[in-house]
Amino acid sequence: MLKATRVTKKFGELVAVNDLSFHVQDGQIYGIAGPNGAGKSTVFNLITGNYGYEGKIEFGGKKITGLSPYRIAQEGIARTFQIPQIFPSLTVKKSISVGSRFGARNGLDEDHVEKIIRFVELEDERTQKTGRLNLLGKKKLMIGASLATKPKILMLDEPMAGSNATEIKELMNLIRKINVELGVTVIIIEHFMKVLTELTEKLLIIESGSMICCDAPEAVTKNPEVIESYLGKAYAERD
Amino acid sequence: MSSKRMATIMGVTYGIAAIMPFFVGDIRFIMHILIMCLIWAVVASCWDLIMGFAGIFSFGQVAFFVIGAYTSAILSVQWNVPSVVAILLAGVFTAGMGVIVGLPCLKLAGPYVALVTFGVHMTLMPVLRGEIGIALGSGGSQGILTIPPVNILGYTFSSANQIPTFYFTLFLSVVCTVIILAVIKSYWGTAFLALKDSEEFAMSLGVSAFKYKLMVFALTSFLTGVMGAFYGHYIGMLSTRMLELDLFCTLMVMLVVGGIGRFPGAILGAFITVTANELLAPLGAYRAVTLGALVVLLVLLLPNGVMGLWLKRSDAEA
Ligand SMILES: Nc1ncnc2c1ncn2[C@@H]1O[C@H](COP(=O)(O)OP(=O)(O)OP(=O)(O)O)[C@@H](O)[C@H]1O
Ligand SMILES: [Mg+2]
Repeated sequence: MLKATRVTKKFGELVAVNDLSFHVQDGQIYGIAGPNGAGKSTVFNLITGNYGYEGKIEFGGKKITGLSPYRIAQEGIARTFQIPQIFPSLTVKKSISVGSRFGARNGLDEDHVEKIIRFVELEDERTQKTGRLNLLGKKKLMIGASLATKPKILMLDEPMAGSNATEIKELMNLIRKINVELGVTVIIIEHFMKVLTELTEKLLIIESGSMICCDAPEAVTKNPEVIESYLGKAYAERD
Repeated sequence: MSSKRMATIMGVTYGIAAIMPFFVGDIRFIMHILIMCLIWAVVASCWDLIMGFAGIFSFGQVAFFVIGAYTSAILSVQWNVPSVVAILLAGVFTAGMGVIVGLPCLKLAGPYVALVTFGVHMTLMPVLRGEIGIALGSGGSQGILTIPPVNILGYTFSSANQIPTFYFTLFLSVVCTVIILAVIKSYWGTAFLALKDSEEFAMSLGVSAFKYKLMVFALTSFLTGVMGAFYGHYIGMLSTRMLELDLFCTLMVMLVVGGIGRFPGAILGAFITVTANELLAPLGAYRAVTLGALVVLLVLLLPNGVMGLWLKRSDAEA
């Protein structure tokens, strides 16, 4: 469904993404992990067309390299941001309808917006300004607005960051529901290995912009190179 | 703020203005001030739309006003274009200039947009006074002194028949500000706010920053150009004096008084500022200082401008 071929991105001297190729299958929950500064968020920014790059990315068989971010959103690629983004001037409902009005193929769909508000459980905050939401609320809002674009694929950038154990459970359930009930393919960048091993079918580990390995999570966590460079000895020797 | 509240405040403001001629219709000086209020209400509202709503720090509003005024004046003086046609063409030309200025601003951060747009303001005076301007018919440093009044089907709107001219200006002002209200309340307005709040989030949801930013440049410079053009025909003469800092600062005061991003505050701001400016006239050289001090006080006491008085708490936080 989403296929990257030999993608390289340089910021001046720094090679943020180095000759990376990967293929996300339809319906999958696909994980990306790696140390800080490995280039994970940059991979998302390249997919969504925020920067130019070498190589090629295709989505549903169509080349999306070179399209501008808003066009890529309309093609069906939705995303959230590592640092939660909201529209402080708009209410929860209005923010979610931005996704519907501008991102969805057939334009504003009020029923769908209502459905999404219930789906991310923001009914009670519907008419609130988004600035008043707590961190979890802001994350749900970001997810809701991106779902309102009726995406085929949703990319989540560290959705668990700053959340406690209960919130992590809640978000994991939400992500499963997005995948199963809405039939949306998911790519998730995450530092919590436990989240990734429980959720994902396939896991891509990158370091300094290069792929270390890409396999089922059980295999990845046993990979000596991954343990060496990312997980550390403590992880391998736990329990 | 709901569209109903906005429309009510606009209705009351324009309604009060509309009955003024019954009380002060024979006082030329006051009628002139009222006409000025109506003109500046539109320009201040345009500035609020682009800066307060779309979050683009455009400082070119006076420049667009002057471009509109000169374009229409030159068209009617040099080319004998009928005034109404000249005003519309001036609006379209100014919109084009707005888009040209807007293009380099798309990729720039706020403070740089302010520099670029104010740069346009700064270059306008030498251009109009210099050889290019003179060749086009700007009249150089002397300006244009014989601009014909607006003429519709043989009826002229000039300072000679002030009351009809007042109602004509009122009509123009209402039409322009209703357009601004409609835009703010349409999905365009939502796109502007979303792009202002978080451009990358908005784009990830399918909002084209390119399209909506250029649209706001085009629309605000069109309306400002039209009002500038009308101003020229009403006053009958133009000079580059308008580009001195006076007018620019007064316009900024209107916005601050009304509340930035607090439409229709800009309309109230224009009425209050133009009137206060005239009331302070007896102070002579102290006028500017007094006005400045009033602004400082106002910013401290009413950070949302006079609209702060109407805002609900939840609105004010945004
Ligand atoms: N716009 C940019 N300009 C210059 N350098 C950048 C830019 N964006 C990212 N980088 C650099 O690219 C490298 C990869 O950054 P990226 O944000 O993709 O890392 P990450 O894997 O998401 O890290 P984290 O886990 O901390 O989020 C970093 O060294 C970063 O400083
Ligand atoms: Mg990151």
